[in-house]
Amino acid sequence: MSTTSTTKTLGAAALVTGAMNTVHAAGSGIIKVGWLGCGGRGSGAIRQCLGADPGTEVIACADLFEHKAMSGREKLIADPKYKDRVKIKDDHIFHGFDCHEKLAQTECDLLVMATTPAFRGRQMLAALKAPKPKHIFTEKPIASDVAGCRLVMEAAKIATQKNRAIVCGTQRRHEFRRVETLKRIHAGAIGELLAGQCYWFGGGIWYRSDSEGMSELEWQCHNWYHFTWLSGDQIVEQAIHDIDMMNWCFNGPPKKFMAVGGRQSRDYSEQAKEVCKKFNNGSDANWEKYNGNIWDHIFGEMEYANGARCTAFTGHGPGTGRPSAEKLIGSKGASDCTDTIKGENPWTYQGEQVNGQDQEHIDLIKSIRSGNLLNEGQRIAETTLTAIGLRTAAYTGKTISWDWLLNASKQDLVPPQGKLKPGPGHFEPISTGCDKLV
Amino acid sequence: MANKTSLTRRQFLKNSALLTGSLALGGVLPRSVWAAASNTIRVGVIGCGNRGTGATKNCLASSKGVQIVAAADVFPIQMEKFKKAFSVPDNRCFVGLDAYKAVLALADVDMVILATPPGFRPVHFAAAVEAGKNVFLEKPVAVCPAGINMVIAASQKAAEKKLAVVAGTQRRHQAHYVEAMKRIHGGDIGTIVGAQCYWNMGGLGGHWVKKREPNEPDVAWQIRNWYYYTWLSGDHVVEQHVHNIDVVNWAFNALPDSVHSLAGRQFRKGEVFGNIFDHFGTEFFYPGDIRTISTCRQIDGTDWRVCERIVGTKGIANLDQSNASISGEKPWKFEGQATDPYVQEHTDLIASIRSGTPLNEGQRVAESTLTAIMARESGYSQRQFNRSWFMAKCDLNLVPPADLKLTDSKPVPAVAVPGKYQLPGLPVEVPKKKQGKGKGKKK
Repeated sequence: MSTTSTTKTLGAAALVTGAMNTVHAAGSGIIKVGWLGCGGRGSGAIRQCLGADPGTEVIACADLFEHKAMSGREKLIADPKYKDRVKIKDDHIFHGFDCHEKLAQTECDLLVMATTPAFRGRQMLAALKAPKPKHIFTEKPIASDVAGCRLVMEAAKIATQKNRAIVCGTQRRHEFRRVETLKRIHAGAIGELLAGQCYWFGGGIWYRSDSEGMSELEWQCHNWYHFTWLSGDQIVEQAIHDIDMMNWCFNGPPKKFMAVGGRQSRDYSEQAKEVCKKFNNGSDANWEKYNGNIWDHIFGEMEYANGARCTAFTGHGPGTGRPSAEKLIGSKGASDCTDTIKGENPWTYQGEQVNGQDQEHIDLIKSIRSGNLLNEGQRIAETTLTAIGLRTAAYTGKTISWDWLLNASKQDLVPPQGKLKPGPGHFEPISTGCDKLV
Repeated sequence: MANKTSLTRRQFLKNSALLTGSLALGGVLPRSVWAAASNTIRVGVIGCGNRGTGATKNCLASSKGVQIVAAADVFPIQMEKFKKAFSVPDNRCFVGLDAYKAVLALADVDMVILATPPGFRPVHFAAAVEAGKNVFLEKPVAVCPAGINMVIAASQKAAEKKLAVVAGTQRRHQAHYVEAMKRIHGGDIGTIVGAQCYWNMGGLGGHWVKKREPNEPDVAWQIRNWYYYTWLSGDHVVEQHVHNIDVVNWAFNALPDSVHSLAGRQFRKGEVFGNIFDHFGTEFFYPGDIRTISTCRQIDGTDWRVCERIVGTKGIANLDQSNASISGEKPWKFEGQATDPYVQEHTDLIASIRSGTPLNEGQRVAESTLTAIMARESGYSQRQFNRSWFMAKCDLNLVPPADLKLTDSKPVPAVAVPGKYQLPGLPVEVPKKKQGKGKGKKK
C-alpha cells in the first residue's frame, strides 16, 4: 500500500492536526510496528494490530526462540490479509533473552508485546529509553512480581514525558458495552457499591514437554505458565481480566487482600518425568520441579477503599467451572459489569458490539494518530499488582495492605537480565501457604 | 496479637470472654415449675475430654442445683481424670465405645452433655432422646448427610417428648450477638446483600496431634487423634467454622441454596494429620442469589481472623467474639453486660428445662452443620451443588457402625483430590478429554 492511499484511507483529520508529524517520522503516515513475542497470543495480537489500521506495517520481529521469530514472519506473510504489510527484513529478526533490546534499537514506532509476562517491565523500559522511543501495546499481565509492576509504573511515567502511548490487553476496557455499563455504575445507577464477585475458574492449561534444542531455562520459558516467576500464577495471568473489572468498578485498586489457596489436583507428573530425563541424563529422580510451582486454586478477598469486600474465585480444576464473569452489588441494584443493570435503574446495553481485542488496537492507533495519547501503563500495573496482592496473601497466609505491597514489599522473582542466558533453569518450590512475606 | 500459634483456640476464646466482662454466675433463675420433688438437675457426661470437661464446668457454673452423676468415655485415662475432677462415683463411670448406653440407661439422669468427637453425635443424640434425656449437644452435630438426617429426626422426637436440646453454638446465647441480630432482623441494616465470615486461625496447635502408640489399632488411635479424620471431626470447616457459618445463617434466617468451595491441604503433611484439609474458601448462594464469602484456615504462622460481617443496603454489622456493632443509617454498638456464652448456653438450657418450656435447637444446629458439610464436600470434589440435591441424593454415610470396636482396622481414606474424589450420589462422569488444550476462551 502506498503512502498516498494510506493517507486517503485515514482521511483529512489527522493531517489537519499535524499530530502525525510530531509523533512519527516526518511525512509518513505509516506506523512501523515491531513484534515482540511470536507465540500464540503474539500472533493474534499482531494480526489485530494490522487489522486495526491499514497504515500499519510490521518491520521487525523478535522472540526468545529463533524458529518462532522466523515462523512468525513466514506465517504472517502467508496470510493473504496481511502479506502486503509484512516488511520484516532478515536483519530485523531477533532472538535470544536480549531480543527486546535489539528490537528497541530499530526504527519501529510501535511495539506489540506478547512474550511471557515476567519480562514486560524491562521490555517497556528498553523501548521507551531507546533513541527512538516506542508506542506500546502490551499484553496482560505486565509482571509476575511486585518489582516488575514498579518497572511498568516507571515506564508509564516515561511514556508520558516522551509522548508515547501505552495500551494493554485488558480488552474489556475497550468494549463499548462495558464502557457504557461502567459509566452508569460510576454515575450511581446501582447506588453505593457494597459487594462484588469475580470468577475465572476453568479447566486446565497446556503443558509443553517438547524441549528439542533448548537449555533448561529456555524450556522453562517455553513452558512458562507453570512457573510463578514467569506467569505470575493463574490468578495473575488469567483472572486478571475479572479483577481488572472490579478495580474499574471501584475506580482504583483494593486497599487490602486476604486469600486462601493451594495446589490440590494439578498434576503433570508423566510429562514432567519425561522432561526431567531429558535434562538429567535419563534420570527422573528430581522430576517434581518440572511439574511447575503454580497453584491450582486461590479464593481471595479484595477490600476496596469504601470497605466493600469482593470475592476473587480463581484457578484451574476438574470440578465445576466458573466461567469468567463478574457481579457487582450496590445499595440500589446490581450489575454484571458487562451490559446489564438491575434494580432501581434497570438498563440493558443495546448499542454496537465490538470485539475488545480488535478495539483496543483501534483505540491505540487512533490515539497515536490524533495525538491524544492513551496511557494505560499505571492502571495495568495497578491491576497486575492487585492480582499479585491476592496471590501473595494466599502464598503467605497474611492479610496484606495495598500501601505495604506497593511501597515496602521486596518481592522480586525474576533473575536479573544479566543472568538470563541459555543454561540451568530457575526453580522455586511450591508455596506451602505460609511463605515468608517479603 | 503476637504469637497466635502458641495460643490454643479455646484459650483465646476464654481470654476474649474475660476481657469483655465478668461471668454470668448466679443469675436469677426463673421460678421453677419443673420437678415437684427436687429441683436438682442430674447430669450425665458422654465424652470426657477437653470439651466435655469444659462443658461440665460451664454447666455447673451456670445454675444452682446441678449435679454430675454419671460419665462415659472411650478411654480409661480420660475417665479417671474426669472422675476425680467431678467426684463421680465409681459405679457410675463407664468406659468403652458403648459406655454412653450405660449412662443413658440410668433412670435418674435428667440431662446429658454430648461432647465426644462429632462423628458419634448422631448416634448418641438419637439414643439420648430415645432414653428421654434433655441434651446439651456440642457442635458440630454430624459429619455427613446421613448423620444430619438422624439429628433432625431425633430433634423432632425431642420436641414431641418435650425434651430440651441446646447446642454448643454459643454465639446464639451471647448477648452482643443476640442484640445485633435483633437489629439486623428488625431492618436496621436494610436488606442483606452480602456477608463474610471467617475462621482463619493460624496453626491448630501441636497438642492436638496424638502420635500413634506402638501397636495401637487404627480405630483407637483415630479416636484419640480425632481432629484429623473427616469421619470423626468432619474436617475443620465443619468442626470449627460451623460457628461463623451459623451466624450468617442466623442473619439471613435461611440456609444457602447452593455452595461452591475451593479448598485443599497445602501445609499439613504426613499420616499423623489424617485426611483433613487445611484451608477452605467457600461461596455460599443464599436465596435471591446473594453470594457470601466464607474462609477458614489452619496453617502455622498465618494471620488470625475470626469474625462475621453482614452487609445490608443501609448498613453493615460487624460481629466477633468480643463485640458487635452496626455502621450506616442506624449506627449502634453493644454496650450491655457481657456474659460468658459457654456458661450462658447452659443457663438458658437449664432454665428452659425448669420452666417447662424446653428450648430445642436441634434442627437449627443440624442445618448449620449441614451447611458446613456442604462446603467441605464441595471443596473435596470442587463441585458446585444445590442443597436440595445434596439432601436428596448425596448418600455419604460416615456414621460409625453399631459394632465398631477400638481394635478394628480402619484405613484412613486418601486426602481428597478434586477430580479423583467421588462425591457420593453423583453419577460417575465419563472422563473428559485430556486436560489442557488451551486456557479457555477470552471473553
